[in-house]
Amino acid sequence: MPFPPRPVDTTLHGVVDYTAGATLLSVFPKLAGVEGTRSARQIRAAGAIHAGYSALTDYPLGVVKAIPYKAHLALDALGAVALAATPFVTGQFRKGRRHWVPHVALALFEFSSLAITDPTGYGDYHGDVDAVRRANAEDPHRKIYNGTPAVRPAAAAT
Amino acid sequence: MRANVWSGRNTVQVENVPDPKILNDRDAIVRITSTAICGSDLHLYDGYIPTMKKGDILGHEFMGEVVETGRGVENLQVGDRVVVPFPIACGNCWACKHELYSVCENSNPNWGLAEKAFGHGTAGIFGYSHLTGGYAGGQAEYARVPFADVGPIKIEDDLPDEQVLFLSDIFPTGYMGAEMCDIKGGDVIAVFGAGPVGQFAIASAVMLGAEQVIAIDQYDYRLQMAVNKAGATATINFGEDADIVEQLKLLTGGRGPDAVIDAVGMEAWHGHGAIAAVDRVKQAARIESDRGLALRDAILACRPGGIVSVIGVYGGLMDKFPTGAFMNKALTMRTGQCHVQKYLRPLYEHVKNGDIDPSFVITHRLPLGEAPNGYETFKHKQDECVKVVLKP
Amino acid sequence: MSAKAAITINLPREDVERRWTSSAPQIDGDVTFKDAPGDRGTEIHVALDSGGGPIDKLKGTVPLATAKDQLRRFKQQVETGEIPRSEGAPEGESVGRKFKQRPAQPLEEAGAR
Repeated sequence: MPFPPRPVDTTLHGVVDYTAGATLLSVFPKLAGVEGTRSARQIRAAGAIHAGYSALTDYPLGVVKAIPYKAHLALDALGAVALAATPFVTGQFRKGRRHWVPHVALALFEFSSLAITDPTGYGDYHGDVDAVRRANAEDPHRKIYNGTPAVRPAAAAT
Repeated sequence: MRANVWSGRNTVQVENVPDPKILNDRDAIVRITSTAICGSDLHLYDGYIPTMKKGDILGHEFMGEVVETGRGVENLQVGDRVVVPFPIACGNCWACKHELYSVCENSNPNWGLAEKAFGHGTAGIFGYSHLTGGYAGGQAEYARVPFADVGPIKIEDDLPDEQVLFLSDIFPTGYMGAEMCDIKGGDVIAVFGAGPVGQFAIASAVMLGAEQVIAIDQYDYRLQMAVNKAGATATINFGEDADIVEQLKLLTGGRGPDAVIDAVGMEAWHGHGAIAAVDRVKQAARIESDRGLALRDAILACRPGGIVSVIGVYGGLMDKFPTGAFMNKALTMRTGQCHVQKYLRPLYEHVKNGDIDPSFVITHRLPLGEAPNGYETFKHKQDECVKVVLKP
Repeated sequence: MSAKAAITINLPREDVERRWTSSAPQIDGDVTFKDAPGDRGTEIHVALDSGGGPIDKLKGTVPLATAKDQLRRFKQQVETGEIPRSEGAPEGESVGRKFKQRPAQPLEEAGAR
């Protein structure tokens, strides 16, 4: 296993994006006990925006494939920072722990998910392409087999 | 001797292990000159096949020179060059007598284990988990070949290893897939999966006289090989447009292909859509053992009254099998691990005649020591890898 | 309640009965022979005396499983002339081996376990 392990590939990341977006939009404010406050609106907005740009991302679960995957990951990071900063920028953190802890917790979740997401789309390839290319120095095509169809049509037809 | 052994998920290592010895009178020992990594080895590598043990030698496509024979082997001499088929068959049971070699009733010493999974045991296979007997495999310097009087075929020409090695597994498998389609003139065949087995399925369909052969995959370099070398007449890259069923209908005037070959198996990677994501998550959590995306599409795409020929390897259970489509469209499904022994001689003739050059699928030839990199490169399709041949 | 097992051997009935008496596998129960349909050979039906107690289940040597093993070994010996041995299961089919396999590597010595 390479270190740090990055098992989350583009599809799984997409699943998490939509699930998180939907959860933030619907039940998360109630579960965090901030229903009805400004925090709820901020969290809902964050969820909606997240799901929105996910749908526009060029990855397996994107609807319109406009935003490159790496840009999406950058947006994830920026969004997490923005969400964590919001209670401090607006001053609402003074109203109590409930008004900033959910934001920071969500941001931490986002960062940890980014830390285990594979940004290249290669999955967890831990081979050595250069070693393979060096070892494969003789090109078998050139030596044994040369272009053009290798099959004679209907050679086995009865 | 050195051998490539399984050491856990996503890990293989080349280690020193004891040399094989004759255990039974019908055994032979073969010094391996060429061996290959199969797509089904990737299921072992990814950890989806149960009953693997650390230290199991992998590999079931190999050929080489006979160095020792047991007393019961009369048709082979020391020094003969042979290609060894991957199913181990006794030649005496009812199944073998009816040419169903991959379900030989006698060659699996763990028949009782396999019976729990499948209802019956099936033939032993080299290097493919203890469900198929726990035989040591062929990605090594030497291998013990049981029932050597039934399996191996003698190669009497100067044909290079690369042109006959694939008689051991992938060429007959692709050929059986195409033969099960009952191809008649004018037939349009769709092949899901343009990996090595898919390439041979396409080539075999062309050899059997199919009018059009459509290759389906998500990697352009594999689709190009299918068209330029295997003789496919059209391609579908489902990475660009995921609706395979619709594209097949458009390519066939709305009818659908007359027969469909599934050369994909349990690690189907459709890459798109909610069902794909759900399947991947379930498989990672080991709730569902087989991802049947290719099989579902194959059943939906095949024209009513057609044939679905399944040669991709499956191991357990899949969710959401389209029974309604399967039954109401009067489809026939024909499946099986290839009965290689049945096809060895006819296909060897085709290679000798020049009707096909099987070496076209090889993209990498590596020394045995590079097997771990070879597995990784093959699994992740790096460096335009299609088939890796190892030289011990 | 007796446990039952059956297996089909691809040989004519006289041969099977003769081989059975000469090799006498250890099965405690009634053994009957029948002709199998078509070209399939001979069926052997076994009805065991006992199903085994809880200790057998723990040890993994339930009489039915052992009887099935014996039947399969008899079939292998009679049809092919040998008991197929793999590197993972060097003694051939046996109940005790099912969950305690060796790694699938050649044995150190030809007779090793």
